[in-house]
Amino acid sequence: AAQVTESDQIKQFKEFLGTYNKLTENCFMDCVKDFTTREVKPEETTCSESCLQKYLKMTQRISMRFQEYHIQQNEALAAKAGLLGQPR
Amino acid sequence: MDPMKAQQLAAELEVEMMADMYNRMTNACHKKCVPPHYKEAELSKGEAVCLDRCVAKYLDLHERLGRKLTELSVQDEEAMRKAAAGTS
Repeated sequence: AAQVTESDQIKQFKEFLGTYNKLTENCFMDCVKDFTTREVKPEETTCSESCLQKYLKMTQRISMRFQEYHIQQNEALAAKAGLLGQPR
Repeated sequence: MDPMKAQQLAAELEVEMMADMYNRMTNACHKKCVPPHYKEAELSKGEAVCLDRCVAKYLDLHERLGRKLTELSVQDEEAMRKAAAGTS
């Protein structure tokens, strides 16, 4: 079984923090429009909560498709290599 | 630089490049496919399909451009070598 090394964990966490920052900026830009007050208005709250969930679902889907693509690529390469390695 | 080190460095740089590419792709497909409305937390069917297509196209383009870029760099290098040889 592959072990998750400490440096992998650190990288993962770093990525998580990066995502956190990106989505905050993104959802802020898209949802917060009212600067006549310091308070975050209820519609801004619901918008950003939906934004957060949508963003996470989106990143999950992209990740899934990306992995599928690479699996396909590796299979194609393996098939090619397999053909070349065929004993006659 | 000894060849082993060069190869290792190349591999590390490629990993870094892939990570950067992934981030840019996520950004691009987000902009292209998810309109900033956020009425609901779920991805709509249209948004989901758009994301799938976006990822496929982005990766295809990345590959294509990589090949073309290599081609052009090789041509460029040869042209420079010929020019240098011509002047010596």
